Amino acid sequence: MLGENEELSRLIINCLSRDLQGNSEIFACLALHAIANISGREMATSLLNEVQQLLVSGSHTSFVRKKAALCLLRLFRKFPEIFEAIDWAPKILYMMDDRDFGTALGVASLVTALAQVYPEAYYGAVTKAVNRLHKIVIEKDFTSEYVYYKIAVPWLQVKLLRLLQYFPGPADLQVFRRLNDVLAYIISHSAEVPKNVQHNNAQNAILFEAINLCIHLDPASELVDQTLGLLSNFIIAKETNSRYLALETMCHLAATGARNCLDSLRVNQDTIVASLKDKDISVRRRALDLLYSMCDQNNVRVIVAELLQYLPIADFAIREEMVLKIAILTEKFAMEYSWYVDVVLQLITVAGEFVSDDIWFRVVQIITNNEVLQEYAVATILTALRSPTCHETTVKVGGCVLGEYGHLIANMPGCAPIDQFTALHTKFPICSVQTRALLLTTYVKFMNLFPEIKGEIIAVFKQHQSVLDVELQQRANEYLRLATRDDGDELLQTVCEEMPAYPERESALLLKLNQKIADTEDKRTWIIGGKDANTEVAKAKAIRDAAIAAAGGAGTNGVPRPVAAGKGLLKTFEDKLQESNNPPAGSTEEADLLKAIELSKLDMPDGGLSETIQKPTTPAAAPTVDALGAGVIDYSLAKPVVKALSGGMDDSTLYSRLVTAANGLLHRDANLEIGLKTEYREHIGRIAIFFGNRSSHAITSLAAEIQADPKQVRVTLLQPLPSIIPPGTQLHQIYKVECLGVCDPLSLLNVACAIGDGISLNVPVNLSLRLPILLTKFVTPIQLPANDFFQRWKQIGGPPRESQAVFRPASGTVVATSDLAKIITSLGLGIIKYVDDSPLSVVGAGIFNASELGKVGCMVRLEKNEQYEMYRLTVRTTNEIVSDVLRAQIEECVALHI
Amino acid sequence: MAIRFMLLVSRQGKIRLTKWFTSDWTAKEKAKAVKDVSQTVLSRRTKMCNVLEYKDYKVVYRRYASLFFIAGTDPDDNELLTLEIIHRYVEVLDKWFLNVCELDIIFNFQQAYAIMDELLIGGEMQESSKRSAINSLKRMEETEKSEQASLIL
Repeated sequence: MLGENEELSRLIINCLSRDLQGNSEIFACLALHAIANISGREMATSLLNEVQQLLVSGSHTSFVRKKAALCLLRLFRKFPEIFEAIDWAPKILYMMDDRDFGTALGVASLVTALAQVYPEAYYGAVTKAVNRLHKIVIEKDFTSEYVYYKIAVPWLQVKLLRLLQYFPGPADLQVFRRLNDVLAYIISHSAEVPKNVQHNNAQNAILFEAINLCIHLDPASELVDQTLGLLSNFIIAKETNSRYLALETMCHLAATGARNCLDSLRVNQDTIVASLKDKDISVRRRALDLLYSMCDQNNVRVIVAELLQYLPIADFAIREEMVLKIAILTEKFAMEYSWYVDVVLQLITVAGEFVSDDIWFRVVQIITNNEVLQEYAVATILTALRSPTCHETTVKVGGCVLGEYGHLIANMPGCAPIDQFTALHTKFPICSVQTRALLLTTYVKFMNLFPEIKGEIIAVFKQHQSVLDVELQQRANEYLRLATRDDGDELLQTVCEEMPAYPERESALLLKLNQKIADTEDKRTWIIGGKDANTEVAKAKAIRDAAIAAAGGAGTNGVPRPVAAGKGLLKTFEDKLQESNNPPAGSTEEADLLKAIELSKLDMPDGGLSETIQKPTTPAAAPTVDALGAGVIDYSLAKPVVKALSGGMDDSTLYSRLVTAANGLLHRDANLEIGLKTEYREHIGRIAIFFGNRSSHAITSLAAEIQADPKQVRVTLLQPLPSIIPPGTQLHQIYKVECLGVCDPLSLLNVACAIGDGISLNVPVNLSLRLPILLTKFVTPIQLPANDFFQRWKQIGGPPRESQAVFRPASGTVVATSDLAKIITSLGLGIIKYVDDSPLSVVGAGIFNASELGKVGCMVRLEKNEQYEMYRLTVRTTNEIVSDVLRAQIEECVALHI
Repeated sequence: MAIRFMLLVSRQGKIRLTKWFTSDWTAKEKAKAVKDVSQTVLSRRTKMCNVLEYKDYKVVYRRYASLFFIAGTDPDDNELLTLEIIHRYVEVLDKWFLNVCELDIIFNFQQAYAIMDELLIGGEMQESSKRSAINSLKRMEETEKSEQASLIL
């Protein structure tokens, strides 16, 4: 009922978290069930930690831990990127030895999934699995509770046997020997068939898994030979399940191609062929697969003959697959061409509607490329065409082949040109338009080969001159013109030159089948690892690896934040900030500044707000920072720097634009362009980062991640980024950001990539860009009456919840009041009118949203003094830290406004 | 390798229970799968093998009285063992409801789901011991009852 993407499921995250951490095991278990059933990404990321804790903490019983293990497995399968599987490997592997079988089973399932993605990190599982199996199977170390119809923990046994199939055989000889003992024991104790169905099933489940493992370890081993005997008993067993599974396992054997297996399978060939006529379609399918797998040059004739014989009575569901497989086998193993042609024609006759275009294209291709084959093929096809039941596909093949090679048999009895023509033309009316068009082309070729039947052919063309179908009409008219030219058929001869041989190419049929196998994950799934590993996992892993590498590289200089790691542009930005924060002390200009403040205060209209304005503390105090914490900063000092930078599209200019804008460029150079699109709603925001490749080479090993203070901002990757950008294309990744507390203004986007073709030139690029994930982005505007505003303003009162600054703009001159209002609005605050009637000030209000800090009301007053070209900014909020940060951000924005 | 879905279908083709361990299917796909699978299963004769192939999945089913228990699994999953998971589920149902019948499942479907949760998480077997599963179910029921009692009081 409750889908994972629904709003409601987001609301219960906190509840679940409480249950997980609570004392009651039952509640924890129910929460785990809920997470396993309905967890979406958000729930997964927020609760992953708690689930992990439940799994490894010793304080919980197996009752909780086994559920935690499976819950984790489920989360890992859905969102493989959020789980630090490698770091957790030792802890998880350790738990494989858990005494409790339920927990061991859960952990084994988890390890099986993890091992497919991180085989190195989980290699330790091999020894553990072998030891556990040894304990259960040979040492009989288990409790009666876990005996299932006389078989000890079949689920755990099978899981461990399966787990071992994802690894190469154990390298340690002793472990290998133990494993061999276990397998030998299982196989030798499965010979007799128990009466009880459940007992039998459980026993066989283990047996088949053990056989698969044997085959995986070494298909030529003695153990496999032993199992062959068992399997051949199974395929004649009465019980259908056994037959089905035995056939499937034999497929696995055949797929390995080991000599001994194929020999033994051949002994059973008759039985397998008989299985093709089994009552059950599941068994028939397996038999078909097996026959296909075990076919080779020696038995191809028998097998294909059997398949052909079976084809007319086969189910519709598997006919198409059968046709394809027969076509491939005949092509692959044909020793005589005549046989090949016979089979394919038979195939078309029997199951014409299942013969796809690919198959008959391939036939024509092969006939064209093999000269020896042509004469025989033409003769046979002509005979086939004469049969009243011939299929349209036969007509198609006939049309192609006769048109090209009809002259080869023209001298045989019954194969005169006119006979060939009539054979085809009698089928003409019953064919589809497509085939008819093909036949017209055949006729024009005939005209070239056999001038004696020109009259009949021209009659046909004339007949089709005004046929309704455009394609037919066009061909008829063109060919007629061609035929009636009076240049002695010179053009006709040139047009109808014999077709050149096709270039050798891979059989389209095999490609098609391979694709099918990839889709249905047929027998080739035994190749290890490919199973659950989806491309997503690989992608996410690649990104993470690259990111780790990049972070490692940047961190080498020992700077805590990898910002300063040689990024020229960014450094200058920081320098600039620093410069503006520490203006040379004691300069005369500063004295002026202070005076200006005084003056501006005097200039203040005596409105309702005037009493709130603080007297500046002793002017003699350190001029840079006053007691209120509001620095008196002259941004005009930073002006030269700003100018120098703003010449190009440098990152800091782009950044300062993005402080107020939602979308824009983040970085641009000759090769790479990084853009940003954002959308904020209360405390949640979505950030899409676009990467455009402007160079003429591919950008490779691209990795990008947002680095932000995890205590303040939670960043979740929603859509990962491919690691390669082809030239001239743009790709993007999407993040979700959630504001938890007061945003650190320093969020960074670290980008690492290489530009070039990877061989001759390969320029590594490392960028660290400032991302505007600012406090102001999480502010939503509010409107309130002037009276209310005034009341609240007074309520908050002065410091520490007030933050004030007086500063001079970077451009040297203050801007119009309407522009100031625009800046305030763009920072997410609502403009409150009629609070004070001065035309020189702007008043705004908004609410800052943070999920952990809660909502914080913000009020802002910005005044300017045109005479001294100064601003005074006063921020009052219900939280002192917010006041400071908000003030600093507005100040920077206003000061650097150009 | 895991169970992707579980279906309980009556012989008349009525769906009694569906449980999805995969979330990437849309409601439409699910409905189609339920329809296709239940039809094919119902049309099969007894004594035929308990495994069949549906699209890219294997379907393992077994009939108990008038109910078909159907599990859809990944193609490389161990079929016989899946069959035994079904059996274990039926055994636990049987022990819990004391001689389970179709009506028990119809009227106490929430318990049937809870039992399945107790056996399977995310399509993987979590507890093969019947006793331990029943025990945890009992504990849950007791807690539920005591909570209800405390609410009334």
